[in-house]
Amino acid sequence: MTARKFFSSPWRVLGYAVLVVITLLWLVPFITAVLTSLRTNDDIMLRGFLALPKTITINSFVEAWKRGGLSKYLPNSFIITIPSLILTLFLSSLSAYALARFRFTGNRLIFFLYVGGTMLPFQVLMLPVFRLTDALGLYDTYWGLIGIHTAFQLGFCTFLLRNYMRTVPGEILESARIDGCGEFRIWWQIMMPLTLPAIAALATLEFTWIFNDYLWAIVLLRSDALKPVTAGLATLQGQYVMDWTVIVAGALLATVPTVLVFIFLQRYFIEGLTLGATKG
Amino acid sequence: MVRRQTLSKLTPYLFLIVPLVIYLVWVIGPMFYTFYLSLTDWDGLIDPHFIGLRNYQRLFKDPVFYTSLENNLKWIASFITVPVVVGLALAMALNHSIPGDKFFKASFYSPLVLSLVVSGLIWSWMYHPANGLINSVLRQVGLDALAKGWLSSENLVMWAIIAVAIWRQAGYVMVLYLAGLQGVDPGLVDASKVDGCNGWQTFRHVIFPLLAPITVIVVVISIIDSLRAFDLVSVMTRGGPYNSSSVLANFMYIEAFNNYKMGYGAAISVILFLISAVFIFIYLYRVLQTEMEY
Amino acid sequence: MKKTFMLLAIVTVLGMVAACAPQTVTVEVPVEKTVEVEVPVEQTVEVEVEVPVEVEVEKEIVIYNSYQSDPEPRAADEELVQRFEEKYPNIDVVHSTVAHEDFKQAIRAYLTASTPPDVMTWFAGNRARFFIDKGLIMDISDVWESEGWNESYPTGFRALSTVDGKQYFLPTSWYWWAVYYRKDIFEEYGLEPPETWEEFLQVCETLKDNGVTPITIGTKYRWTAAAWFDYLNMRVNGPDFHIDLMLGKEKYDDPRVLKVFTDYWAPLVENGYFIDDPAAYSWQEALQFLIDGDAAMYLMGDFLRDSYPDEEEAKLDFFRFPIIDSGVPIGEDAPTDGFFVAANAQHTEAAKMYLAFLGSVEAQQYYADTLGRLPTNMEVDTSGFTPVQLKGLELIQGADFVAQFYDRDTTPEMADEGMNGFMEFWDNPGSIEGILARLETVRQEIFESE
Repeated sequence: MTARKFFSSPWRVLGYAVLVVITLLWLVPFITAVLTSLRTNDDIMLRGFLALPKTITINSFVEAWKRGGLSKYLPNSFIITIPSLILTLFLSSLSAYALARFRFTGNRLIFFLYVGGTMLPFQVLMLPVFRLTDALGLYDTYWGLIGIHTAFQLGFCTFLLRNYMRTVPGEILESARIDGCGEFRIWWQIMMPLTLPAIAALATLEFTWIFNDYLWAIVLLRSDALKPVTAGLATLQGQYVMDWTVIVAGALLATVPTVLVFIFLQRYFIEGLTLGATKG
Repeated sequence: MVRRQTLSKLTPYLFLIVPLVIYLVWVIGPMFYTFYLSLTDWDGLIDPHFIGLRNYQRLFKDPVFYTSLENNLKWIASFITVPVVVGLALAMALNHSIPGDKFFKASFYSPLVLSLVVSGLIWSWMYHPANGLINSVLRQVGLDALAKGWLSSENLVMWAIIAVAIWRQAGYVMVLYLAGLQGVDPGLVDASKVDGCNGWQTFRHVIFPLLAPITVIVVVISIIDSLRAFDLVSVMTRGGPYNSSSVLANFMYIEAFNNYKMGYGAAISVILFLISAVFIFIYLYRVLQTEMEY
Repeated sequence: MKKTFMLLAIVTVLGMVAACAPQTVTVEVPVEKTVEVEVPVEQTVEVEVEVPVEVEVEKEIVIYNSYQSDPEPRAADEELVQRFEEKYPNIDVVHSTVAHEDFKQAIRAYLTASTPPDVMTWFAGNRARFFIDKGLIMDISDVWESEGWNESYPTGFRALSTVDGKQYFLPTSWYWWAVYYRKDIFEEYGLEPPETWEEFLQVCETLKDNGVTPITIGTKYRWTAAAWFDYLNMRVNGPDFHIDLMLGKEKYDDPRVLKVFTDYWAPLVENGYFIDDPAAYSWQEALQFLIDGDAAMYLMGDFLRDSYPDEEEAKLDFFRFPIIDSGVPIGEDAPTDGFFVAANAQHTEAAKMYLAFLGSVEAQQYYADTLGRLPTNMEVDTSGFTPVQLKGLELIQGADFVAQFYDRDTTPEMADEGMNGFMEFWDNPGSIEGILARLETVRQEIFESE
């Protein structure tokens, strides 16, 4: 739609203006964060948190990168997040398919199990899972973290994908079955592409959650060499001294991968790409 | 023939076996272990001793428990209304290619990319009674009376924290509904327009019902997240002032990790779990009854 | 679509390869050293890498985890690690820094894991006691003996590290608490640092009359209020009573405790000698008032200077918390940090050697010179100390007793309840009797159900 056509009615213009205002208000905290990261710590101490910066410096970002050891820890974050993400999406879509499209004993029970597992605050699972991880010999390893992230996210992902898969018209699957397609092929070649918007949305959310986690890293890792970025950034918070500008700068740097993922994936849960599939 | 039948009967189980095993080992197992721990006096370090229901007895006499419970209920009430409506409205509005739609989507999603710790931090500054953004603006426009101690007032603090949570949650709901809207057949929407329905009617009778599976997810997750809420409280107020902003997860954390009373903390988690379970299982059961059978 | 999946698949495989790659190698190789062991990092998954980290042949390691995440202590830590490795080239220190708050969570895992860190930082006092009593900490009396620390460490610090006649802890650094004040503001109104309580009240009154808030404090996280309790209780009732209260041997509803609140603390609050709404500010945020000159005094630990803008620091000085009863012994808060060794550490020899190094004059001298904190080893040369350090040293040496601070002297649960109580009192001084009654109930539950 061209802009002119869009703004055809005064209601539209008003609605758009409201949207713009709300969006800007929504962004205020974020903008505050950016401004803070561009200031010096003395500036904040002398003039308070919300004054406009007197001097702008990117020093905090450099400091955060160095002291937060980002170049060391970023690869770790990816090594932990990406396999967890792929495994959990893969496994939960398998489960979701079974739960969504088949009648079998235990369907409801297993479904409730997946939902139920998301209900506990993970802090309480922390120590039992630590004991499990240690017993499995996975303490202080990447696989220890990948294991818990994959497993923990399975609940929510299965739940969501199952619901989404139920919206797919049954005729498509039936005709494939009649054609003699095996279930696994049906899952991979028909169901998955149709579920793409949900998977893309999930991948975005999951990437954000797994990437931003650090409590599991604290408990399940001991060595410096394996730490993800979030744990590295946490060390910027001292016992007494809070170097705010560096902490916020570091946090902003850590958001870059998640933002990039969002930008990359968002077109998969936006109109256009899947219209053909749903119509068919 | 028999083989194929058994194979097709086995199919769902084959699909499920690997994920289920992993899930049982890493999540369900520890969960039951936690239930067991709630009946012990474990301090998190050395072996636990069975003490029966003592933890629960203590819990039901603890005033902080009831305050936390109340706060969690406030959280639930807020979460299943405001972010859902806002998220849905945003998804509906932004589902067309209006100028700058990517910018809007990214903006509402942006609170989620900031870690909860940093979000809590920034909002703490905004809520600062003397120099905070909110009070400064209020004073500028002459509304001095409204410039309160947002995080130091026992009445306002919980709502102030919930506001931050809503600020984050709306974008999350928006993303879910955007995905859901992709599954809505545009043919049906066109058909209803042809039938003479206006925008609102189309929404109410065609689109919203089609989004039902997503709404189920959103409601369930809102309830679960309200009960699991922890980081914002921990960062912004630690449950203060005087536990007035305490929530169950935070309460559990302090008891388990600060006071080394893992058994007691486990008991709190069990209660938390039971509360979620009641809400959710009832809701889901009803939804499942009305779902179409395939 | 296919391409994306291919890409993702490749990334996953790479990720898994990286994840499967022998961790022992990456952990073992610090940046500068060359590894003698013949294991190229790019090995594929199948190769079973036989690199036992506890190599008998060449390198010993000691795993050291620290919570010193503040920038300067952290840098000092890293320097000490390097010096140790230079001294003992066949030992590698695997050093990991964890955020201070997170360490308190992680230590639970550390002490019970099958492969724990060998050496860890921790706090003296009740906090260490807690783990020692559960048998999770290694007895290091032999190190104390062989290094001669029984002589070169002050009795107070030795007592702090001893349980049942054995030493488990190595105290290495501590800092003092005092009332910090703006010299220039005092000068402006002709004020001298007060030594007695009466003088102190006079100072407050004068400041208040001149529009300056006498005392600033940020009680958002409550512990700053506990400092006032510590000092007032020690000044009024003496350090022995105070410590007995911390250990649960005295009652909270004892009239002596009540006196602290009604006769000394409440008047300060009610006369408006503190800033408004202290609970809204963290200790750092409240520091702003001192920097701006809106307030003139702050009861705080010496680390406050780290947060004070450099160009303003010259205006700052400190004095001992005023004496209330000259017949009462002087107690001061001086929280002490140090190190201990996990009971199931895998590298005992190397760990003890590292510990010996950390407690040595050399390490302590470095620490004192670089960070301006005070050492525990008495053989450290104090001639290079700044006037501030010497004054702090004098402050504590002039004390009859050294306490660890409220939340380290008593159990975490009691501390939590106590601090909540102080906050409640601050809001409503009249309700103190009810608060103390409640605290007494808690105390009984905690200490008498043993």
